[in-house]
Amino acid sequence: MIAIYTENLTKKYGDNNVLKEVNLKIEEGEFYALMGPNGSGKTTLASIMASVRSPTSGKIQIYGRKPEKAKELIGYVPQENFSSPILTGKENLMYFAGLLGYSRNKAERIVNELLNKIGLSEDANKKVSVYSGGMRKRLEVATALFPGIKVLILDEPTTGLDPSARRKFLGLIEELRKEKTTILLITHIGADAELASRVGLVDEGEIIAEDEPGRLKKMSGLKNVINIETTIKSEKVANVISNFSEKQKVLETDVGYRVYCKDVEEATPKIVRSLDAIGCKVTKIETEKPSLEDVFFKRTERMVREVS
Amino acid sequence: MGQITATLGKTIKEFLRQKTILFWTIAWPILWVLIGSFSFAGNAPNEVIPYIRGSIAISMSVFALMTAGIANLPGNIAQDRERGLLSKLMSMPINPWKDFVGRLLALLAFSSLAAILVTLVGYICGARFSYTLTGFWQSIGFLLLISLASAGIGMLIGTFIKHVHGAIMSGVGIAVVTAALSGVMAPYSSLPWLLQQFARIYPISSGNSSITYLLVGEDYAGYNPLSTSQTTLTIITSLLLFIAGLIVYSRFCWRKE
Repeated sequence: MIAIYTENLTKKYGDNNVLKEVNLKIEEGEFYALMGPNGSGKTTLASIMASVRSPTSGKIQIYGRKPEKAKELIGYVPQENFSSPILTGKENLMYFAGLLGYSRNKAERIVNELLNKIGLSEDANKKVSVYSGGMRKRLEVATALFPGIKVLILDEPTTGLDPSARRKFLGLIEELRKEKTTILLITHIGADAELASRVGLVDEGEIIAEDEPGRLKKMSGLKNVINIETTIKSEKVANVISNFSEKQKVLETDVGYRVYCKDVEEATPKIVRSLDAIGCKVTKIETEKPSLEDVFFKRTERMVREVS
Repeated sequence: MGQITATLGKTIKEFLRQKTILFWTIAWPILWVLIGSFSFAGNAPNEVIPYIRGSIAISMSVFALMTAGIANLPGNIAQDRERGLLSKLMSMPINPWKDFVGRLLALLAFSSLAAILVTLVGYICGARFSYTLTGFWQSIGFLLLISLASAGIGMLIGTFIKHVHGAIMSGVGIAVVTAALSGVMAPYSSLPWLLQQFARIYPISSGNSSITYLLVGEDYAGYNPLSTSQTTLTIITSLLLFIAGLIVYSRFCWRKE
């Protein structure tokens, strides 16, 4: 059964075409990731699915119904931390249970089950203001896990989480996946998207590629990537490195660069020598398998993530 | 539990747990009751002082209601919008009107608590009232009108001012300035002619004068705010502000982009 279906879905703000005829088909129980840079339209697409925004044209269905007629099936977790910091974790969930019309006793039972599921039972009576970012995000995901919800839409849930909180959070998503919940993950982090059964790459309001993560990488033609960490990051350094990369494309990372070349064994010592010649020390150089972020860069020549 | 009860419970907990809200709605009016009760009686005869204190306690209770509606309510709405809660609520199978009713009931409950505490402090400081049972219930009616008018202004601010601090500061500013200009914080008789006209049109001020008239006496109200025309004006302007706020809130805060 198709859980989410869009046909030529378009969203315009004035002359700005945020979504351009997006066609998407997500099966029930599928874990689908939409990956793209900030401003690519993925949050707009998610919010249309969640009935927060309206499309300008095109068709969208959640289990065969318009989103506004299928609200009881949708669990939407926006990017912002929407839980109330001055209420406890349990009070926040009780509020959502009340909104959904559960009686006090039933709400109490479901909320306790949810707290257990997300691993927050012991911290249930603490104010959310003392929660870590990861705890708060797990609590907010719990608001989308009440009985009857079939589609979970998560907008950038791991943004701002430290590595440990991120791992724990993704563990929760893996658990939900086993329960056959349909999950739509919006992200700009390649490693998060790789957990999905299918990934759609979004750029400038269009889905430019869509497949299983492994197949997307294979189809990109990328075999190996040289990951370089340098003492200096500058245009001059990037120019030197780009001479060794396919079509002179070099992806800048937080700590250095990623180079795409066919013969990495031959290129590696040459890169080190060339950088040495301009006074730039290489602190780390290694060959890696391409990531989804590399695939995105190869296709668009744009970075998924801003370099800090 | 229904949606109204859930929103009422959440909003009132948020009101009661935020120090800024408690300060502006309860501590600040109490402070003015304390200062006013012992400073502003001047050379008035001893038998009059308890009623002057009574009118100060009423004015500060009204100020508490004003702050709750004009500053706390928009702060609460802006906060929910800023942190994405309104987006989350829009994705859920819930009714915007019930959300509004829940917020309004929370506001009324919190305002009542604030007004009772302020009046109680006034009473402890020597405030005395002179009223009939009918007058008492009529005063409750005017308090309700003041709350509705304040909530209307609050919803207008909360809908159009998107950021929490902006909404709270605008609300506090409007509450303080209009209270000062319209005679809530100063005797009506001391206002210049133009501001006296404003005091009669501004329903919070005319409501305040009506309560003072009913619970303390005409001398302390400065004019007769219970004439048919003035009472009609107070009711109409209160309801108009409330309805305007309600329409704007439900149309724009919950509007899909």
